[in-house]
Amino acid sequence: MMRPILHITWEYPPFVVGALSKYLSEIIPNIASQYTTVLVVRGDTDGVFESQGIKIYKVGSSVRTHPHILTYAHLLNLDLLRGAANALHENGGASLIHSHDWISSIASIYLSSYIGCPLFISVYTTEITRSHSLKSVLSLGIFDLERYCFQRAERVFVRDHQMRDLLVSEYGVDRGRIVLGNDPETILKTYRGILN
Amino acid sequence: MLSWEYPPHVVGGLGRHVFYLSKALSSKGVEIQVLTFTDGSSLSEEVIEGVKVIRINPYSLRYPDFTSWIHGLNLLMLDRALKLRGFDLIHVHDWLTATSGIALKNLTRKPLVATIHSTELGRRGGNLKNEHERHIHEIEWFLSYEAWRVICCSRYMVGEVSKFLGCPLDKIVQIPNGYAPNSFPKPAPINRREYARDDEKIVLYVGRLVYEKGPHLLLEAASKLGRSDLKFIFVGDGSMKPYLVELSSRLGISDKVYFLGHVPDDVLHALYRLATVAIFPSLYEPFGIVALEAMGLGVPVIVSAVGGLDEIVQHGHNGIKFTPGSSGALAEAINLLVDDPGLCRKLSENARRNLGAFTWDRAAEETIKLYERILGEYQIGSWKPRV
Repeated sequence: MMRPILHITWEYPPFVVGALSKYLSEIIPNIASQYTTVLVVRGDTDGVFESQGIKIYKVGSSVRTHPHILTYAHLLNLDLLRGAANALHENGGASLIHSHDWISSIASIYLSSYIGCPLFISVYTTEITRSHSLKSVLSLGIFDLERYCFQRAERVFVRDHQMRDLLVSEYGVDRGRIVLGNDPETILKTYRGILN
Repeated sequence: MLSWEYPPHVVGGLGRHVFYLSKALSSKGVEIQVLTFTDGSSLSEEVIEGVKVIRINPYSLRYPDFTSWIHGLNLLMLDRALKLRGFDLIHVHDWLTATSGIALKNLTRKPLVATIHSTELGRRGGNLKNEHERHIHEIEWFLSYEAWRVICCSRYMVGEVSKFLGCPLDKIVQIPNGYAPNSFPKPAPINRREYARDDEKIVLYVGRLVYEKGPHLLLEAASKLGRSDLKFIFVGDGSMKPYLVELSSRLGISDKVYFLGHVPDDVLHALYRLATVAIFPSLYEPFGIVALEAMGLGVPVIVSAVGGLDEIVQHGHNGIKFTPGSSGALAEAINLLVDDPGLCRKLSENARRNLGAFTWDRAAEETIKLYERILGEYQIGSWKPRV
């Protein structure tokens, strides 16, 4: 029996931060209709529930005071890793790990490294597009982490040519690893290419 | 074992603790790998007295501050740790390697042991003033929560971890730090007359020049004493140094005080030999290895009755204690000791005899007993890796 696909995200309904959760709630049930899917999300407390055929592991925040976004990201990922590690041990591992944006990708690097499965990352925005230029050490720190994560992924999904070119020129991501399209059809096709 | 400092990159007592403990554990048959920091000036991998040391350079990433730097180091440390397989137990030291330890524990489902050497609340005098300090405090809580057992070096620290981090007392184990006899190289050939006239006695302070170590109290005591036959030598560096230089000038004792900064161990050994008395006037001191070193080298000690120092020293037997924060009481203690060579001799002889209770061999034996107990509990439990 095939092991599940593990998605990692910092937001998914009912835990909504911005637009990402809405987008993921449209594409992940589609994926779950084809593959057994487990999702790890930052939630209110630790727990497990099911929604639309997806087994969801939610994790509470262990540390709640943060000087800035970078320290938040590290601790968020530690909590996501706690939840994902439980998901892996309780579901017999994962066929592949798919994380969404840099802010939930740090955990996915270690998880994929630990169990030796492929890592996919969907990139929606980058520090360069968000801040227009890297003007502070904080921005540079975020950029470095993004680069660290994106370069470790076997496949990186982007929505358009502009993002693909940016990842190649600024982040040093191998063009051959970038998949144009972040829609269910493209994602499922890429999964099949790796898993079959 | 994960530690942010390990020789040659040593900031405080933690680096020396991990060095001597890992060495003693290895000599007793424990296979031990230490993951630690390098700035590129030390080997990325080497075996030191049976201990495999793996050093991680964190400068492939950029950081706006120390807190982020620590998180980055932990991130890269975890990356390297995941390539090591076959370990039975994870041992971390302080919040500085907490996040990689917690991640490694959850991923591998192996028990986590944490030594908490000090706490942020303790270091900050019970008052967390900004988001960085609160963040660190919460990570310390997280570490004590995730750890199978927490090791503390003194009764005082057991109380602090229990009170400040809400850690159950039955989860905390007290294992005193050790003292490494013969750890100092041969004393360097230094000229006593560079520091003091023949009729002057030398009072020695060894420690970081930071508020919690109380170096300002020794300057205030020196001023109150007003004696012309004493010289005060400060060994160590820290953020308080410019203030201390200014304070000694304001108190009119600049000509009685030397700030030597950090000195090599052979020079420190020589300075201990010249000293009539060594002073440790800390306001916060979880243990105080440095006082054991002074005792081991035969120098009588005066310590503030605080934390681990209060437990190591029995007043009038192996040292003199004074009320923490009181420069007047410190001045009286110095007066008492420097004028009584008989008392000095008695204190230093008793101190040397009592040092047997503080060896790294003993610390390692107690740590191995704890490891065995944890692994026994782990074996009968159901929390095991399934991938």
